[in-house]
Amino acid sequence: MDVLSQLQRQLADFLASLYREGFVDDQFTQLQKLQDESSPDFVMEVVSLFFEDCEKLVNNMAKVLEQQVVDFKQVDSHVHQLKGSSSSIGAARIRNVCIAFKTFCEAQNREGCLRCLQQVNHEHAQLKANLQSLFTLERQIVAAGGSVPAMQ
Amino acid sequence: MAAMQRVASSLGTSASTYGSCKGTGVKVSDQFPAGLRVLVVDDDITCLRLLEKMLRRCLYHVTTCSQATAALKLLRERKGCFDVVLSDVHMPDMDGFKLLELLGLEMDLPVIMMSADGRTSAVMRGIIHGACDYLIKPIREEELKNIWQHVIRKKWHDSKEQEHSGSFEDNDWHKQGNDDAEIASSVHEGAEGVLKDQKKRSIAKEEDDAELENDDPSASKKPRVVWSVELHQQFVSAVNHLGIDKAVPKRILELMNVPGLTRENVASHLQKFRLYLKRLSGVAQQGGISNTFCGPLDSNVKLNPLGRYDIQVLAASSQIPPQTLAALHAELFGHPAGSMVTTVDQPALLQASMQGPKCIPVEPGMAFGQRLVKCQTNMSKRFPQNVVSAEEVAPGFVAWPSNSVGTVGPGSNLGGMSSQNSNMLMDLLQQQSQQQQSQQLSSLPEPSRVINVQPSCLVVPSQTSATFQAGNSPASVNQNYSRSPMIDYSLLSPQSNNSSLNIGQVSNGDLKTTGVSGYSGLGSISPLSSCSVNPDNSSQQVQSSTMTIRAARQLPGLGPDISNFQVSYGAKSSEVLDQGPLRNLGFVGKCTSIPGRLAVDEFESTMSNLEHEKFYMEMNGNKVKQEPYVEFTDNTRVGIPILSQLPPTSSDLMSVFTE
Repeated sequence: MDVLSQLQRQLADFLASLYREGFVDDQFTQLQKLQDESSPDFVMEVVSLFFEDCEKLVNNMAKVLEQQVVDFKQVDSHVHQLKGSSSSIGAARIRNVCIAFKTFCEAQNREGCLRCLQQVNHEHAQLKANLQSLFTLERQIVAAGGSVPAMQ
Repeated sequence: MAAMQRVASSLGTSASTYGSCKGTGVKVSDQFPAGLRVLVVDDDITCLRLLEKMLRRCLYHVTTCSQATAALKLLRERKGCFDVVLSDVHMPDMDGFKLLELLGLEMDLPVIMMSADGRTSAVMRGIIHGACDYLIKPIREEELKNIWQHVIRKKWHDSKEQEHSGSFEDNDWHKQGNDDAEIASSVHEGAEGVLKDQKKRSIAKEEDDAELENDDPSASKKPRVVWSVELHQQFVSAVNHLGIDKAVPKRILELMNVPGLTRENVASHLQKFRLYLKRLSGVAQQGGISNTFCGPLDSNVKLNPLGRYDIQVLAASSQIPPQTLAALHAELFGHPAGSMVTTVDQPALLQASMQGPKCIPVEPGMAFGQRLVKCQTNMSKRFPQNVVSAEEVAPGFVAWPSNSVGTVGPGSNLGGMSSQNSNMLMDLLQQQSQQQQSQQLSSLPEPSRVINVQPSCLVVPSQTSATFQAGNSPASVNQNYSRSPMIDYSLLSPQSNNSSLNIGQVSNGDLKTTGVSGYSGLGSISPLSSCSVNPDNSSQQVQSSTMTIRAARQLPGLGPDISNFQVSYGAKSSEVLDQGPLRNLGFVGKCTSIPGRLAVDEFESTMSNLEHEKFYMEMNGNKVKQEPYVEFTDNTRVGIPILSQLPPTSSDLMSVFTE
């Protein structure tokens, strides 16, 4: 089998595993569908934006949670935004953490919030690494002369 | 596929396909909906980028904005350059709902809300605030493909309104019969019904068409006037000054003295205003206003110009019985003028309402303003259905014609009706009215039933006092309900000083103000609750009060159908005024506190109160499904609208309220 086919197969498998493990969900598929000739790096762009945003939000939340008196409303609002953006790009795991995070905010549970924040960080790092691998694979495929197959 | 995409994207990005920025009337390009000009507002850059891409793929022309304030500025500068706005709800610089209301008010653009929050309450809030649609994130491309329908629908309705506005102007007041029908149906059907109503109206007023045609043969093609808050305020003042029944576009125009404004502009705006009022009353009736309706009122309690105008509108457009108006005023402003934050003028409103035979003269004390006053006389006649007034009430004082079922709650003014409120009120009313319409139409309230609502006292149908006595003990009123149907008062008393909303539980014969929800029934009148019934707190301090105007549905068993509609605005400290059908109540005089009808128990607002309302509604014979729309803020005391229950149904009602 030539390199291209191998790469393509690798990509397909990798992507399938991401879905299987819940890193990404159907919304990610939608995202991929949006990539076209006019915006060949669309997925990467949006995902990068998301990661930047995520980091900012996490930092803000950490700051707020460090205060003596925690403004849970603020934390909640950040979580809300993170939930929105993560669900929009299909980052399922992060979104799920956000859902739990929200309940802790509403309960004004600082410990719970801090735990969730850590989890968000963790998931963020994992997803980032996974998607980097994905993009690398895709680049290799394109370099080898192939085109990136869209999932489903 | 690639070729198609290329073509598509080029189409999408070219603005030329969709007409110019003049934007009047319904412009549909050949490739419609391609080229639809969309403005997306979201502070989340990721989502913004995503939406932009998806919208472009739908062949729309997209502009993005990550800040609400920038978006507003952009829209103001380039009016007519956008067809639809997509806005997120949670934004740091401005609440999405606020933007929504401002847009609806200033430029009548369809706005679609988006949020990751998909709870029913949140969605309800969006609708109440006037959103054309509410999308839940993550948003899919398919959902975006359909947004063009909102544009068309809105433009269609607007252009229809404009077309008929002229014919409407001079004969409005005289064609009450028609108006009533129209109002009723419009309330009934909400926006969708407007078309039908307008058609009826146009038929009824054929003779006027000729006159108007000369002025502007194609009203719908005229450049749209943007009714800014200031302009609207002027409009409202003019209407108030003239009195709702005499407020014809020509006179209004003269009074406003705004260069460049034409009579047609005024006429169409007047028409909308009246519809709005109707909707408010209708909504109140339906009691469907959920607490989200109260929405977040950013502004403090100051009376927002809109609020005032709403009341006026209500008064004008709806047939608010003088008493009701008075009562509303009383309630709203009943509390000592000082406390009333609202800037309502002397209750012309009340006066107006008084005109009817059954009306109870309203004393000028009502801050609420004259606006509403006049309408009553006319209203009563043509208020076959409870409609309408409820709608308008929201912001202001809604006076229900004696016949009308709707109750107007002046509340809105109290709480600084913000544009948000009005929007939501309108929407809410529409919703409610639809529901209510069916129910209320049943019987026309007898004009003769006049219920005077005394401030700070329960409204007792038999009482007719033009002045409110602040000192009345709240409880006093309710005892006598000879005929008073349930009165719902939803009072939200934001004020700290326990101004309390008259939240009282009305036990048999007592007036309870509960979230106003429609209590309808025999002349059920929902007392305007915003007044605190307590004798102590005669003044209503409406700080950011939420006015709840609920249209009460008439309970079958209750007397003439009086619909109370409560419109509640979310406000920080909102007072909820619940004005039930004033027919029997007769709000009168200056009320420093809410007319007696309302049960005076004050109690802290809690969500449970809202629940009460819900229950209350449901228990009525009408099964009015009204959700508590009162939103209580932390510091507000929310008065639960007091439902005055008619004896026959009191048991039902009471049971509901037992907490």
